[in-house]
Amino acid sequence: MTCEEFAISGLDLGEAEQDSLAERAARVHMKECAHCAALHENWLALRGDLRELGKETAQAAAPARVEMRLLQEFHTKHKTVRGHRAAMVVGWTLATAATVILAVTSVLWHERQVRDTGSPVSQTTNSPAAANLPVEESSASGLDTGSSLIAANNTGDFTALPDSMPPISGDATVVRVEMQRAALGELGLTVNEEHAADWIQVDLLVGDDGLPQAVRLPQSTAGTTK
Amino acid sequence: MPIELNDRDDVLLKRSAKGDERAFADLYHRHQGALFRFAMRMTGSSWAAEEIVQDVFMMLVRDPKKYDASRGTLGAFLYGVARNRILKHLERTPRNFSLDDPEGGVPESHPQLHDDMTPARWTEIRERRESVRAAVLDLPPEFREAVVLCELEEMSYEEAAHALECPVGTIRSRLHRGRALLLAKLEMLREVPRRAKVGR
Repeated sequence: MTCEEFAISGLDLGEAEQDSLAERAARVHMKECAHCAALHENWLALRGDLRELGKETAQAAAPARVEMRLLQEFHTKHKTVRGHRAAMVVGWTLATAATVILAVTSVLWHERQVRDTGSPVSQTTNSPAAANLPVEESSASGLDTGSSLIAANNTGDFTALPDSMPPISGDATVVRVEMQRAALGELGLTVNEEHAADWIQVDLLVGDDGLPQAVRLPQSTAGTTK
Repeated sequence: MPIELNDRDDVLLKRSAKGDERAFADLYHRHQGALFRFAMRMTGSSWAAEEIVQDVFMMLVRDPKKYDASRGTLGAFLYGVARNRILKHLERTPRNFSLDDPEGGVPESHPQLHDDMTPARWTEIRERRESVRAAVLDLPPEFREAVVLCELEEMSYEEAAHALECPVGTIRSRLHRGRALLLAKLEMLREVPRRAKVGR
């Protein structure tokens, strides 16, 4: 063993870190080298001081206030997390409830709209005058106690115009015209003023006197009437 | 759920992350002492050590996912975090601070009195310890941590290597340099006779 090797591993003499072969070599070197023997002796003295220093603070620990602060932080963090979770649950619940309410309201409104839109027609069709008689039938039978005002054909029912006379003969003609919705008002029908200027297609049942007796809105425009 | 003495750190950390206060307290008690001593011996200041320990565990409270069990033990991870904090502290703190600062310094050395010890001897020992402490604090940080862990904390080389996450050979060489520097600082080499030959 050289002095350099001794300086690196010889100072561990007697420690568990050193294997027996190296220890034996270090001991032999120490006997032969006064410098390394003195170095070892000084190191042992220094190590003693270091170990004593270590023992003096061996029981040192962080003050209790550190633990207190940490636990406070721990509580704050986990309370906040719990709070966030609760807020998320409440938020999702409210959002779901709002969606359901919106959906129900929408369905109800739609049904009401349909009911409101369809009521005059159904009133007409349910009235004894309507009787859901087809046009051909009413044309064939000619006068049929008011039921001739309403014609049922392949596409839908006609609504009788107010103050129109029932056709005397069965020669009524269906005429499709394009007109502004406001013109329906002139025929005695109620018109939604918001859409009064809209152009719509209308089927008119024109009697043999040339006057319109009933009106029918094709399916595409029916939803926006009134 | 009761906490077993041998519950693994990562298990406790998982429970702590879920809000188990006892698991967190148990982890703290397991590791705070060693970390505090390490920080105090490295910085020479108990208030700095207190701050460092608090920072380390605060990180564990706020972001426990930073610890990856597959990369090593929690103890080594905490040592690593503490080490970074210590190095930052040493960078921004002037090196020549008073070791006698009663507010934050390391408690002064008070050797035990023996029957055969005269006051002069006691004073001599005390002064010597203080100079050893100052010499340790004057070591460069990488040598200081090896000396602190292996000589003051009396860890084995393997344990120190594990704590500092470096090879055993690195610890060995740092310790060698640290010891040589300590002996030089304490002028103990002066008393050593000159070598007869450079290498035998």
